[in-house]
Amino acid sequence: MSPTFIGITGIIIMILMFLTRMPVAFVMASVGFVGFSCMISPDAGLVLLSRNVYETFDSYDLTTIPLFILMGQLGFNSGISKRLYDAGYKFMGSVRGGLAMATVTACTAFGAVCGSSPATAATMATVGLPEMKRYGYDDELATGSVASGGGIGMIMPPSVVLIIYGILTEQSIGALFVAGIFPALLVTFLFILCIYIRCRISPEQGPPGERFSWPEKLKALLGLGETLVVFTLVIGGIFIGLFTPTEAAAIGAFGILIIAIVRRQISWQGFVKSLMETLRTSCMVLMLIAGAVIFGKFLAVTRIPFEIAGWVAGLEMSPVLVMGVIIGIYFIGGCFMDALAFVTLTVPIFFPVVMELGFDPIWFGIIIVMVTEMGVITPPVGINVYVVYGVAKNVLKEEIPLEKIFKGIFPFLLAVILGVIILIMFPSIILFLPNLMY
Amino acid sequence: MKMIFTALDKFSNFLKMIGAIALTSMMLLTVVDVIGRFFKHPIFGSVELVGFLATIVVAAALPYTHKVDGHVGVEILVRLLSKKAQISIDIFTKSLTLVLFSLISWQMFLYAKDIHKTGEVSMNLEFPIYYIVYLLAFGLLIFSVTILETIFGDIKQLRELKTK
Repeated sequence: MSPTFIGITGIIIMILMFLTRMPVAFVMASVGFVGFSCMISPDAGLVLLSRNVYETFDSYDLTTIPLFILMGQLGFNSGISKRLYDAGYKFMGSVRGGLAMATVTACTAFGAVCGSSPATAATMATVGLPEMKRYGYDDELATGSVASGGGIGMIMPPSVVLIIYGILTEQSIGALFVAGIFPALLVTFLFILCIYIRCRISPEQGPPGERFSWPEKLKALLGLGETLVVFTLVIGGIFIGLFTPTEAAAIGAFGILIIAIVRRQISWQGFVKSLMETLRTSCMVLMLIAGAVIFGKFLAVTRIPFEIAGWVAGLEMSPVLVMGVIIGIYFIGGCFMDALAFVTLTVPIFFPVVMELGFDPIWFGIIIVMVTEMGVITPPVGINVYVVYGVAKNVLKEEIPLEKIFKGIFPFLLAVILGVIILIMFPSIILFLPNLMY
Repeated sequence: MKMIFTALDKFSNFLKMIGAIALTSMMLLTVVDVIGRFFKHPIFGSVELVGFLATIVVAAALPYTHKVDGHVGVEILVRLLSKKAQISIDIFTKSLTLVLFSLISWQMFLYAKDIHKTGEVSMNLEFPIYYIVYLLAFGLLIFSVTILETIFGDIKQLRELKTK
């Protein structure tokens, strides 16, 4: 049997095993282990299992993940989101659709302390949905803006997906973080534009709220102060090379904790809850990486990624067209699979292809995150939609049909697609900041 | 049997606590190290320590994460099947997972024994690494037993469905 044949058989078996609901991480590890044993020897396969699992867990780069997750969880359990929303509300609440705009902006701001998209969506839904209900906002617009806005949390640094991409492709996590800032702001702007146009066409969707005086606005702005300080310290520290990402994450988490204690906004239970949530999520993420590493070792000995890369390069298709196909695959894959799992699975396969075609690795990382962002809001697996659905049921005490949320998302989806096209046409929006580093 | 599982429950709760403490120490240690660096007194070997603590965090969280169904899978097809078929598939995939993690824990114990013998120590602190690997192997073992427990739970559920 040729290596390529074993490799392709492995990939097919893996896809079939995914359909059984077996956790993605375990499927990748099993297939990788069996495949590697077939290619080299069972003994080598067994050694691969223990060494790779230990080395993944012990890796200093990966220690960033639990610490950034902790930072987001502490932000979630200490009511930062409420103050962020308040500021957006006081500034934009009086225009048509202003509350939805405030929600989207607050999502971006919360994304600056939280690296996960469903967590951002859940947080802002809890704060934003009741307000929008109070002012008679249409359910579609309200839920759509929260679910889509949550996706910005994934692009805005810190971002768990970007950390994983950086580790799998050996790119600087700091550079990836810095590269995500402008694209996140671009998407925020496009979402606000989208809400504006929507409320122009049908004003009854988002009636204007009350107007606030300037002193009130400035006071609300002060509530943003500490988030801004922590964000500047964390990302700025990485940017000028003062901290490693791990150090920045520890300082960020500690900073949020201290602020929450001083403001008396976190209880002992809240703290313990943050720790438990962090343990669970970190374990899930690190298992995914361990699985992807084992699977990646198997793929590497079959040489499939390099064969594909050579084959695509030999096609003499325009690189942009190939990129279009890859983006298409990510978009469809993201519809069926968890974004994080899909990225860990596919990056080892596509990364060599993309490098062969001469694209920038940092640029590609941001594009992937943008595309998987679409995945978290599209049916049938759009996780943010289910999160918002669940929160709406708890907070508003009424059920908003899933179809309605998906329908509300559609215009935002168009905005993200437009964003991706802009970033493909003007790569310097992404690369401008990382090029200034060091 | 029941006694074993109660003991297991206590054990995994204990591990969870160790994980929480390791996580908090990771944060505090790094913060103190960075502040110390500004005053020219960084903590010697903090990078190694943080790596060890992270290993402890994951090892300790393994049983808990499995219990709360924290790992992501593709739900799409299985959701359409009957309850009975769903549980049967779960028993099958969990058995596979059990085999995988029994192998990993076994190998991890062997690996720990290996580096115990060769006396491998960490680069700066010269801390014997085998302690950490044993700990990880132990976490994996508890995790494997937890999987076994959930398989028994599923079989029980399946039986109840059949008698109905």
